[in-house]
Amino acid sequence: MKEIFHLKFIDNNDLLIVVALIFGILTFASLLFFFMGLLKPNAKLKELKDRTKSWWIMATIVIGAIIFNTKISYIAIAFLSFVAFRELYSMLGFRQSDRRAIFWAILSIPIQYYLAYIGWYGAFIIFIPVVMFLLLPMRLVLKGNTDGITKSMSILHWSLMLTVFGLSHMAYLLSLPPIDGVNIDGRELLLFLVFLTEINDVLQFTWGKLFGKYKVIPKVSPNKTWEGLIGGLVCTTGVGYLLIFLTPFTVPQVLVVSFLIALSGFIGDIVMSSIKRDIGVKDTGTTIPGHGGILDRIDSLAYTAPTFFHLVYFIIY
Amino acid sequence: MKKLTLQLIYTFLVRWFLKLFVGVKFDDSSFLVEEKQFIILANHNSHLDTMSLMASLPRSLVHKVKPVAALDHFGKTKFQERMSNFFINTLLIPRKRDKENPANDPIHKMIQALDNGYSLILFPEGTRGEPEQEQPLKPGIGLVLSQRPDVKFVPAYMKGMGKSMPKGDNLILPYNASLTYGKATHVQSTKVGEILSQLEEIYLDLKNKTDGHDAP
Repeated sequence: MKEIFHLKFIDNNDLLIVVALIFGILTFASLLFFFMGLLKPNAKLKELKDRTKSWWIMATIVIGAIIFNTKISYIAIAFLSFVAFRELYSMLGFRQSDRRAIFWAILSIPIQYYLAYIGWYGAFIIFIPVVMFLLLPMRLVLKGNTDGITKSMSILHWSLMLTVFGLSHMAYLLSLPPIDGVNIDGRELLLFLVFLTEINDVLQFTWGKLFGKYKVIPKVSPNKTWEGLIGGLVCTTGVGYLLIFLTPFTVPQVLVVSFLIALSGFIGDIVMSSIKRDIGVKDTGTTIPGHGGILDRIDSLAYTAPTFFHLVYFIIY
Repeated sequence: MKKLTLQLIYTFLVRWFLKLFVGVKFDDSSFLVEEKQFIILANHNSHLDTMSLMASLPRSLVHKVKPVAALDHFGKTKFQERMSNFFINTLLIPRKRDKENPANDPIHKMIQALDNGYSLILFPEGTRGEPEQEQPLKPGIGLVLSQRPDVKFVPAYMKGMGKSMPKGDNLILPYNASLTYGKATHVQSTKVGEILSQLEEIYLDLKNKTDGHDAP
């Protein structure tokens, strides 16, 4: 019990600074929208206010999961994967005869996170891309309904890769062995990744709203502009530079890593947008007020987490 | 004892299981506390329907609401009947009318439960059908409401339960399902046919509103 509630971050100034920074930004945003609402009652602030409120809740949960015992973090990220996976296959639709295979896919979630927990890298990295890739089609075939089976095989494994394999890299960050010479642990890397990904979403959104004019891919997402993309990339790289104390990187390394997080976040975002456009929904759900579903929030994380993890793995180990 | 058991099972265990594992999104049901007595009318595709409706109720009401179910299915043996009555708080009725023997008549049994102060959960489409496919309403609900027109009815629309646990499959698959309540309403007439068409109209309205909410 004592171990669970031992706040390790109190003797870790770096984490404390970032936690204070996050709540500072949220307080600033809440106050800003509150006073803007007073000055201009007609301005359409409902969505922004809802978004900020949801950010408060999400930030509290994420920070809570990171600073308490790391075992809780693994469970929390696994649950996030599960909810995202459920949302994705519910949205994409499935045949009656896919039910057993989907259940197998769900059972792979605790296994994947257990592999991350024990830090068995070889098994972690092949379990979903190889083992589940081979097993899921087999389970579908055993059911015997071949009408539309190709589509089911593709959708099921792709969904699992995006929501479970992708996000589980966040959990594996916590299992990385200590790095020679620097006092950085997985929680700081995880906080760096999540903070940078989410601030990148916010910055791209803000730059796009303020200066957006030329659309990047109007057919997929009319809200994505070159101004938003470039503004977001530059600012996120800057924020990454300021948070260098959370990472074991040198200055050029942190600039490249932050830039790639920003870029892959953008790609994850438009990939999910294109799928929503394909099946004709605006948001993936109504789980988070102002944001849509869980998927709308973690679509970029599903891309940034593997990107960041493998950069760390390549640069440091 | 029964009251506490039902409250523990539905407002806690079943509710959180449905919310966290299955992914059911519950509509706010606190308005039901204001209504003394009501009949909830819902579509029926899955065994999860009754569970979700019970779990969606305000805690103070759980033991006052009886889901109506078929005696020949849920009361095959005396033991099973007792279990259903205790753990699901069911009102078990025979499928066929029996006008000579009121104690064995489904309509009479439902009216008696209303007179005893219970609220009811009814699936007026009858047995579980294909997911999200409507079937014509059975006249029983019309007969009950025509004899007790003071009791309000509350339409409830559930979506996705049949995907999570369809008829003929015992595996519960997580699925983002939802339960939406309509307004509590009085019947406008005491004629069975008119009641049924009023119900059908209100029900379709609720369904379209719910489905439209998810579309762009």
